[in-house]
Amino acid sequence: MGQLRRAYLGPISEVAWRLPGWPTRLLAAFSLAERGSMLDMLAAADATPRREMRRKYFLHALDEGRHAGIFASRVRALSPPGNISRAQAATEDAGLLQGHGIVAGETLFARLGEMDFLAFVFVAEADAVEQFHVYLDRRLPDPDTTAALRDILKDESFHVSYSKLECDKYRREGQPIDHAIRLARWRRVKEGWMRFTRDFGERMSGVWLLVLYFLVIWPFRLVARLERGGWQRAPARPTSALAAARLEG
Amino acid sequence: MPAYILGISALYHDAAAVLLRDGVVVGAAQEERFSRVKHDAAMPRRAAAWCLEQAGITAADLDYLVFYEKPLRKFERILATSVATFPRSWGSFPRQMRAWLGDKLWLRTNLCATFGVRSDRLLFCEHHLSHAASAFYASPHEKAAVLAVDGVGEWATTSLWRGDGSALEPVSEVRFPHSLGLLYSTITAHLGFAVNEGEYKVMGMAAYGKPAFRQELDRLLKLDPAGGFELDLDYFSFHYHPTRSGSPALEALLGPPRFPGAPFAPAVAPGDASAQQIVESQRWADIAASAQAQVEDAMLHLVRYAKGAVGTDALCLAGGVALNSVANRRVAAEGPFAHVWVQPAAGDAGGAMGAAMWAWHAVLGNPRQPPLARMDLGRVNGPARSSEMLTDLGAKFTEPADPGASAAAELADGKVIGWVEGGDEWGPRALGHRSILADPRSTEVKDHVNARVKYRELFRPFAPAVTAAAAADWFDIPAAAAEPARWMLSTAGVHEARQATIPAVVHVDGSARVQVVDPVASPAFHQLLVEFNKLSGVPVVLNTSFNLKGEPMVSSTVDAMASFVRSGLDVLYIDGLRVERPK
Ligand SMILES: [Fe+2]
Ligand SMILES: [Fe+2]
Ligand SMILES: [Fe+2]
Repeated sequence: MGQLRRAYLGPISEVAWRLPGWPTRLLAAFSLAERGSMLDMLAAADATPRREMRRKYFLHALDEGRHAGIFASRVRALSPPGNISRAQAATEDAGLLQGHGIVAGETLFARLGEMDFLAFVFVAEADAVEQFHVYLDRRLPDPDTTAALRDILKDESFHVSYSKLECDKYRREGQPIDHAIRLARWRRVKEGWMRFTRDFGERMSGVWLLVLYFLVIWPFRLVARLERGGWQRAPARPTSALAAARLEG
Repeated sequence: MPAYILGISALYHDAAAVLLRDGVVVGAAQEERFSRVKHDAAMPRRAAAWCLEQAGITAADLDYLVFYEKPLRKFERILATSVATFPRSWGSFPRQMRAWLGDKLWLRTNLCATFGVRSDRLLFCEHHLSHAASAFYASPHEKAAVLAVDGVGEWATTSLWRGDGSALEPVSEVRFPHSLGLLYSTITAHLGFAVNEGEYKVMGMAAYGKPAFRQELDRLLKLDPAGGFELDLDYFSFHYHPTRSGSPALEALLGPPRFPGAPFAPAVAPGDASAQQIVESQRWADIAASAQAQVEDAMLHLVRYAKGAVGTDALCLAGGVALNSVANRRVAAEGPFAHVWVQPAAGDAGGAMGAAMWAWHAVLGNPRQPPLARMDLGRVNGPARSSEMLTDLGAKFTEPADPGASAAAELADGKVIGWVEGGDEWGPRALGHRSILADPRSTEVKDHVNARVKYRELFRPFAPAVTAAAAADWFDIPAAAAEPARWMLSTAGVHEARQATIPAVVHVDGSARVQVVDPVASPAFHQLLVEFNKLSGVPVVLNTSFNLKGEPMVSSTVDAMASFVRSGLDVLYIDGLRVERPK
């Protein structure tokens, strides 16, 4: 796994870190991902039934929050002065959170359960360590960002080791933790692929909808017009009858 | 068996869930407080789950689940607008259609699956009716004119209703694209703030300027003699452009837009800005002041029409524009109504409350309930759970005999404290349940709050909270704004003789967005104010929402602890426990 990842991560990053505007985009994406993991860890700290884990998740969350701040300040430092880039805006707008594990209203912790959650944390942290090593080995970012990465890497290595210890405990208890770890790896690959197909699908459907727009919509243009301004009498409608209340339109 | 109705607002902005038991609010919560994503619009699964848990029921016990708008009618408006603006809408059409075809059109199925209810239990209110109901049924007024003013719902952007007992009848409406909310948002965007988020900042910035752009802005909006209004659409693009709300003509009229995050340095507080920056900043402040004056005048114009058309003593307000506390003050002081009541969650979150109340009163024909008397309607941690959580987190904490007195003494000592007590606030304002508090007598403390806790721009003033008994001694609150002032929905003048005593909460124009605290709505917070008064002779504290920049207000004990540790707060009180700052 590691070998393959390094093999493609290296050359891709080589290009990505050198394209104009991309370093700030990457750093902003990291900042959002860190903020997302902070929220995942806080949700775990809130929900765990294992009281001895609460403080660990909490401290982990604080680390991730700090990392989010460090990456955001690198984005600020590398953005042109006087106006903020889209990337910088993203780090300041939590509404754009992508790395956050909430799906359909359920937190990552609630979706996976504690053991699978810890397996996921272990795998994700190990991947992050590997990724940061690739950047550092190839001296990709600027010197200040490199220093920041080194600083963050220490925390990430600690996250790997503590989650590994927790996984080892499950193993000693005879729990299927190795299966959970394999599942976590597979899940990350699968989710990456699903993101890709979704983005691709959106682009394709966008093209088709545009074709539809120009072929089918335009004739209706002749009869359509915008509403006029000013007060208008509210249309008489049985707003409060139960049968009308059941309708979506 | 009591009747349970769950109201839901979601998928556009500020998702929320509200549960009624026999017409009385059992729980009201915004999804952002759980998911920690500000203005989270996703289906409010966790907020709803919390409401059900609070009542000790499951989804199977719900009589009705009421969604706050009619999705198909909204879809019709979006489609019709795309057609009418062909071919300029080519960029927005694919985006809109993708969102609708992918998700929003299948709402019935989605609601059933998300909340676990049967399809025959679903009701759909209308967007503006939800707003109107949220203001009317929660208010103390049996008869009222009800005005909803926002960006847009299905078609209506402004609507007037006649409320009488359990009935709420439509009178008239102004329809998209003519919208006061979208006009104000367009100016918000022009001034470099995020739409649906930065509107408060425009209001704050306005105090630094003069309405020098009023003539220009009056070209955008015409108030008609019949009591309505109209936009000149040449200056806008929100009806066809996917991301931009002003048109090139707007830039030609007002000058180039402000870059987001550009430093703001008006003449009265120049800092170390260059001469050019000061001139630019003054231009932005003047645009903000003009837009603010315009929206105030427009609101007065609309409420005068409402008085003529409905004729009651009371006015109920909702919709995002009703969160403009400066405009609310003028509506109360200069408008024709003796009483004004504003729904505290006037934005789309409040639609969840309105939808549920509408179903209970208007559809099912049940009589009115006592008005909402408290706004701490969201998640409660409680001393037992908080104490267990704090122990697990390794926090150092004590249980003072009188937390209010203890906190008051620390405030008088110049400390900045986090104050978490009871349930989350309903609506965007912190009302002493998830608040950061400080001594209003010291500008130093205010700078400390800004620099180390909130990281806010200087043009956003901090607000005071005052005991109900002393409110009139310190603030000039219009009689009709007595109710809105309880929930921080109206500004007030600070008596001139008092201004120098509480400089940290007086805005540059001598106003303040005051909260009048009474012992019924917030007993613990009121007690703290009383104690602070004993120590300082000042029954006022600085009160700002307990959240870090870009994050929603804290909700759980864990959230509060995380924000405490990550900020420069001196001490934290949670449900009567005093938590020390870790080293
Ligand atoms: Fe991290
Ligand atoms: Fe980490
Ligand atoms: Fe609305």
